[in-house]
Amino acid sequence: MLSLEDVSAGYGEKDVLSGIRASVRRGEFAALIGSNGAGKSTLLKCISGLMQPRSGKIIICGRDNAALKPKERARLVAVVPQSYSVEYDFTVEDVVAMGRYPYQSFGKRESQEDADAVRNAMEATNTLAFRKRLYNELSGGEKQRVILARALAQQPEILLLDEPTSALDIHHQTEVMELITELNRREGLTVLAVLHDVNMASRYCCRMILLRDGKIAADGEPSAVITKKNMEALYRMKLLIRENPLFHKPEIVPIRVLREEPAGRPVRIHVICGSDGAVKLIEELEDRGFELTAGVVNVGSGDCEICRYLQIPHVEIPPFTPVTAEAQAKNLEMMRDAEVILISDMPFGENNLMNLDGLEKMKGKIFFHKNALSGDYTGGRLIERLQKLGEKKKVVYFGDHDEFLRRLRELSGPERGEAE
Amino acid sequence: MARSVRKNADARFERGTGMMKRKKKKKLALALAIAGCLFLIYICTVMGAASVSLGDINRILLHEVFHIPVSLEGISEGSITIIRDVRLPRVLLGFLTGASLSVCGAGYQGIFKNPMADPFILGISSGAALGAAIGIVLHFSGSIAGLSGTTFLAFAGALLTVLLVYTISRRGKKVPVASLLLSGIAVNQSLSAFMSLIMLFNQQSMDQIMFWTMGSLNGKGWNQVVTILPYVVVGIILLLTSARELDIMLMGEETAIQLGVNVEFVKKKVLVVTSIVTAAVVSATGIIGFVGLLIPHVVRLFTGPGHRVLMPVSLVFGGTFLILCDTVARSAITQEIPVGIITAACGGPFFLYLLRKSRKGGAVQ
Repeated sequence: MLSLEDVSAGYGEKDVLSGIRASVRRGEFAALIGSNGAGKSTLLKCISGLMQPRSGKIIICGRDNAALKPKERARLVAVVPQSYSVEYDFTVEDVVAMGRYPYQSFGKRESQEDADAVRNAMEATNTLAFRKRLYNELSGGEKQRVILARALAQQPEILLLDEPTSALDIHHQTEVMELITELNRREGLTVLAVLHDVNMASRYCCRMILLRDGKIAADGEPSAVITKKNMEALYRMKLLIRENPLFHKPEIVPIRVLREEPAGRPVRIHVICGSDGAVKLIEELEDRGFELTAGVVNVGSGDCEICRYLQIPHVEIPPFTPVTAEAQAKNLEMMRDAEVILISDMPFGENNLMNLDGLEKMKGKIFFHKNALSGDYTGGRLIERLQKLGEKKKVVYFGDHDEFLRRLRELSGPERGEAE
Repeated sequence: MARSVRKNADARFERGTGMMKRKKKKKLALALAIAGCLFLIYICTVMGAASVSLGDINRILLHEVFHIPVSLEGISEGSITIIRDVRLPRVLLGFLTGASLSVCGAGYQGIFKNPMADPFILGISSGAALGAAIGIVLHFSGSIAGLSGTTFLAFAGALLTVLLVYTISRRGKKVPVASLLLSGIAVNQSLSAFMSLIMLFNQQSMDQIMFWTMGSLNGKGWNQVVTILPYVVVGIILLLTSARELDIMLMGEETAIQLGVNVEFVKKKVLVVTSIVTAAVVSATGIIGFVGLLIPHVVRLFTGPGHRVLMPVSLVFGGTFLILCDTVARSAITQEIPVGIITAACGGPFFLYLLRKSRKGGAVQ
């Protein structure tokens, strides 16, 4: 359908694309992703005839793109750019009818075929209802549907989209993507879309092509392209890849870009956690270079996921099961060498009160997050247990994470001073 | 499902009748407007300083224009000459001039996507004026290629100027619109400076040059009509054939290319054709400003931006507008007023009025 054979292109001296080889099959819905300046839009420009490649060939439906006349190309390839406005008062119908230009020549009046194509395009995009309104007076989402209708009126073989949803809110983003998916499925239209939202691309497209520095870095199904390695290189940040539980497609969860200032000395910390309350703190502590362990966490919880992702040693138990003596033994083993034992913001119940067993024998300093007291579902046994613990060992209560980090700094600071 | 089918059917029905009604209404309004214009042209033709009676004028017109054998008995030879050889060609020349400038203005506004574009924006007017000034100063009385020396020099000056602007702003095979506009302004200024210099050193010719630059149909006859007619007719037809492309180019050049328009070709075609037509008109009548800017805007307010309607209607309105202005110019006071002064004086305030009234911000930015 569309094949790119060693395509290189650029502006002035600079090569933006080099040696692109890929082909899009009939009926595919492929997404082109990559960071800004990776060459996505340039590639689209080459295909739609705005730019000539420096070298290489683009074959569209078996024909060499360079040899196509503008009208011939416009019958094969239609482009939906980012939402834009026009300074003149054209009606919606006028704008859509422009899509018929490649089929018209001077002196030939609009045929019935033209009228049908325009009407069908507006029906398919739900724009028929406001065809008499002025394009300029429409909302962003409506405008984008009109531009999509114009592209459909061209009756193209391939639809190219250049960040079609970038200026829209999520309602209209989803609407436009659904429309395109429907066209792709029902009409078998081949679609190549530049998308900057990887999760959206993953959800709707059957294929993704990842461009990096003008070259293809990955090409295949979303699950093959959305990998930790590819995505971290693409976005240069920490992120989490998981399967979206609703759509069963891989998705990325951005975590952080900027690094925290490193701590003076890597304090050895064990975090007692288990649900979702410690995710942010664990991530921050890890980022500051502390040596972490954690437990006991239920599989499927956020705390478990962040430990797995950051490869922090931790003790796991199956979801919704109580902490067993065996698990707690492992937990104690893990915290044996910890200087700090942090009891994080977590709800306590019968199932996990066991987490506090044996802490009095540990050498590490114990910190307790006050919030955990409000999440007490043990009918007062948590308080009892804490009092007992307090009799044997000092427990430091703190109010929020910042306070904890401050105390940690006191703990790790002086030693750095000595080292200097 | 059933509901949506019915909705579509309703929509289609409404569309069918609605479009018919709208098209009919539009056509009717257009026909009325054109009839009104013809009537105005007639009125302007019979009005004038010479004391020829209305009946006599009608008889002369029928005889001379429509070749209907009515008797011209009792009408003095002088009256016939005034109507046939002075009034008629002047009205015709006015129509051709106004029509060409308006259609060219519409074409320029189309390719430049700039509402302030007019046929003189690339420096044609100052080029022509410089040429004419040189002709006047040198007392160039001979004729070249059937044109008077001044006319020829103005024509040549105009075309050379556009060529210069075009060459300066060309980047490889492409002609970016922004650099065309900017170099147009720059060249315009420098040529105006040259002309001022010429006027300064030839103060005896100053009046004549000034008068030329203000544009006038005074003293023009069949000679000028015949000279510019072929340029105007061929040029306007060529411009009309690009109407659809110009519409699409208003959506932006990249979009136009992606819709299959050969943008660079259309730009060059419109530039070359409008330049030649405008140069021909300006060299015959002097610089008649504002028509080419005003008329397309006014017409756009009524017809919308589509060039297939905009250009023909601009042609009729522009022609009529200039005839009206010229009638005022020749009959308001005893002395002839250059028609360029009238167009600017009438057009400016009217334009401002439209600008304030049209809050849609579509046609006039």
